[in-house]
Amino acid sequence: MTVILLVLVLILSVYALAARDLLHGIIALSAVSLLCALMFYLLHAPDVAITEAAVGAGITTVVFIGVIRNTERKDRG
Amino acid sequence: MRTHTLRYHVQAAAALLAAAAVLLPVFLIDVPWPAAARDYLEHYGVGDSGAINLVSAVYLGFRFFDTLGETLVLIAAVCGTIGMLTRAGAILPEGFDASGMAHGFTGEGEAPDTPTFTIPVEKPKSHTLRTHLLEVVTGVLGPVVLVFGFYVMLYGHYSPGGGFQGGAVIASGIVFLALGKREEVTSMLTQAPVLYRIESASYLLLVLMTVSGLFAGSGFLGNPFARLFDESAAFIMVLDICIGMIVGTGIGFICIAMVGRKVS
Repeated sequence: MTVILLVLVLILSVYALAARDLLHGIIALSAVSLLCALMFYLLHAPDVAITEAAVGAGITTVVFIGVIRNTERKDRG
Repeated sequence: MRTHTLRYHVQAAAALLAAAAVLLPVFLIDVPWPAAARDYLEHYGVGDSGAINLVSAVYLGFRFFDTLGETLVLIAAVCGTIGMLTRAGAILPEGFDASGMAHGFTGEGEAPDTPTFTIPVEKPKSHTLRTHLLEVVTGVLGPVVLVFGFYVMLYGHYSPGGGFQGGAVIASGIVFLALGKREEVTSMLTQAPVLYRIESASYLLLVLMTVSGLFAGSGFLGNPFARLFDESAAFIMVLDICIGMIVGTGIGFICIAMVGRKVS
């Protein structure tokens, strides 16, 4: 189970790095946080899981989406 | 173009090398894990601090001085973020910039009149039945998330959770409330003066709690309630509440200040 989650985390992280549409990258990062929270819960660290879910999937996503709304959505690099 | 890809490969190789330098010793190490602290915690942790959740026993009991510094770092981060954003010329929502912090609000009746933060509402175009999805979902979910955050914060001595974790969830709830705010519905928790007053008062209470052990006869950072009741987890509960309020209002303040920037 942990291996499957880790592979998914790796795939989504690479996608978040490579995505040209930054909104898709942010959603991938949010999914990474959610999978990490699930993994922490399975590894018997529920308090870390709560923090990861609240900060990673909640607050950082909100801040990043706010940044995109105030700048632009496409990566020009 | 060719030099560009070459530089990219060199950078990737350097990053991998650095990661290997950090991770390899962890895998190759042969020294057994230190067991003395673990065994001490297992036998005396609950009795010494009163917290069944041993993580709380460590960071609010045995290592409380570190926690005091961590909360101070958080407050410094909030001040630094707002200060840098203001100096860089960002237009923050009213009340969240440095001038708003300097003046605050003078009277109690003045608070509801000053609009602090509103997401520019997209008017439904000609179709009246279309709802604003974000507004509705976050507005309904906000109070539920807040209640869960308070639960995690208050039961930190008993079940997994505690001040920092509960505070993070409370911050999510505050951000949700701010995002789901409509014209006619207002919440005190999304206003800047309320947020930073709660934060300052909580830190003051935290500092008072650390010193109060001196007067109760249990020493600096000691449990002042030890002579009053048998329930020694009361001290940890109070500390959890203080830290939860500091973290929740602090992170919520930064998020509202950054996301709620008015787009011209």
